Amino acid sequence: MSGGHDYPHESTGVETRKLGMWVFLSTEILFFGTLITTFMIFKGRDFPGIKLTDVYDIPFTSVSSFVLLMSSLTMVLAHNALENADQEKTRVWLLATAMLGSVFLAGQIYEFTEFYHKGFELSTNIFSSTFYVLTGFHGLHVFIGVVFLIGLWIIGQRQKGLSLDSGFNLEFIALYWHFVDIVWIVLFTVVYLI
Amino acid sequence: MSDNHKEHPTPKKYVQIAIFLGILTAIEVALYYTEDFVGVFTDPLLIFLAIGKYVVVVGWFMHLRFENKMVNRFFAGGMILALILFAIVMIERAAGNFFN
Repeated sequence: MSGGHDYPHESTGVETRKLGMWVFLSTEILFFGTLITTFMIFKGRDFPGIKLTDVYDIPFTSVSSFVLLMSSLTMVLAHNALENADQEKTRVWLLATAMLGSVFLAGQIYEFTEFYHKGFELSTNIFSSTFYVLTGFHGLHVFIGVVFLIGLWIIGQRQKGLSLDSGFNLEFIALYWHFVDIVWIVLFTVVYLI
Repeated sequence: MSDNHKEHPTPKKYVQIAIFLGILTAIEVALYYTEDFVGVFTDPLLIFLAIGKYVVVVGWFMHLRFENKMVNRFFAGGMILALILFAIVMIERAAGNFFN
């Protein structure tokens, strides 16, 4: 995300690792695109068993969405602090991002538990299966992101500082985290609101 | 080469962007509850708002608008392929080829 930098020694003009990260995110778009498409095939059709619209709680999910959206803010503030060589603020914002991500995950676990208690299970029908696979994979991505963030925070504590240029890079984790956020922006609309 | 050396936003600007995103989310939720009033425009408006939020996060938080064109092309390539897949499947669905 330290955009605007030239890498004349790279034939592409972009740092290879960064280009690799963007290519990875591009494949992730296809991965989630496939899952969303599968979900949309079955959305709006009648299947035996309880419906998603009978169990979901829009105010609750709206708050979860807002929390994840704000975690993107704390992530970008962590990146900005590191660019300004403010290690203390970087660690604070990293921890805030991990905490907001954890709150989102806790909300998803609570939501899934509620759905199960109300009878909307993975095996209720093919639509419920697509719902859990889609939102579950997103949750897994958030979980992986939280692990990365905590790992980065621990490294920052132990090494007394993080670097933007080497190692377990904050920039790439930030890209991954924002990607997880944009996937949820789409899922919130497609799965819950439409 | 990167043909673009725009300055990254300041923390204050990031907070303003986040507030804007929060407002868009509030509008989305309000649209959901006023579907009876808004009618057939609800879904297109919700999609429009989601695209708006998506573009803002990708452009400003992921800094794609400040990035090299090659990076933009890779990301857009994934998006376009996913949208083509989605369009083909939805056309097949509308044609009744998935369900009898």
